[in-house]
Amino acid sequence: MVTEVSVNMLEEIVQSVFITMMGLEVSPSATSTTPPGKRLTSFVQLTGEWNGAVMLECSEQQACQFAGRILAMDAPEDVDDDVRDMLGELANMIGGNMKSGMATGIRLSMPTVMDGSDYDLRVCGAKVKNKLAFDCADGKFWVTVLSPGGEQIPEGKRRC
Amino acid sequence: MEFSTCFAVRRIGKKVEGDRMDILLVDDSRTMRMIVQRAIRQAGYRALTVGEAENGAQALEKLQGQKPMLILSDWNMPEMSGIDFLRQLRASENKVPFGFITSESSAGIKELAMNSGADFLISKPFTPEDVERALTPILGGC
Repeated sequence: MVTEVSVNMLEEIVQSVFITMMGLEVSPSATSTTPPGKRLTSFVQLTGEWNGAVMLECSEQQACQFAGRILAMDAPEDVDDDVRDMLGELANMIGGNMKSGMATGIRLSMPTVMDGSDYDLRVCGAKVKNKLAFDCADGKFWVTVLSPGGEQIPEGKRRC
Repeated sequence: MEFSTCFAVRRIGKKVEGDRMDILLVDDSRTMRMIVQRAIRQAGYRALTVGEAENGAQALEKLQGQKPMLILSDWNMPEMSGIDFLRQLRASENKVPFGFITSESSAGIKELAMNSGADFLISKPFTPEDVERALTPILGGC
């Protein structure tokens, strides 16, 4: 079970990433269920003293809106490589900052991005520890932490 | 003389033309390169030509015959990471100013970067002001 402090840390990290990179205020939302339909999922894995993954999920339209904001241009009409790349970078920033708040000896993977509909991403041996929903002007998105059962996120010096 | 140089640097904006390269930007993410390019322009360094590479190995190739004023590099990249790139540079006696822009921002990573010869580390997420604060001591703050 992820500790309460770690949930707060994750919320702070997500809020910091979105406000700093896009000027977009986001706030935690009570709804944690991901609706069906076309969406994008980006994730990074953390391995070493703590093993797990951090996933960022949103609708295709929202990913395009995020890309427009972060690149300071009109939002692309369709998902393209830049949109996927941008969503991977967001997951990378969330995972990287999460890593910075943990114990030493953890490695961060390169981001992976998937898009489509009716898919279910599973990280072998890992379970959903926390699924957090966020509201913003562009809609709702989700950040999920996965980890093998029973492991707790080791906390080091918090950055945020 | 110094004022004139700085004025020229801040007034004209352009990308790499021909062989000249003032800043080498190394990141496997195209969107992140676009974001950093914009931050460099917003910091006022519009005249500086910015070359790009997708990883450390490609950056070493791009540096052949080049003497940029600064290298900005990501940490996690395929083929050759930012820290391995920096180590190779310093091993070859190349003393070009080098800064990381990375989400790897723990105290241990910063210490490793500095001990390996980096001049600064900008943590992602970052603002244009963060970039300006890091670049000004190296490129001038006019």
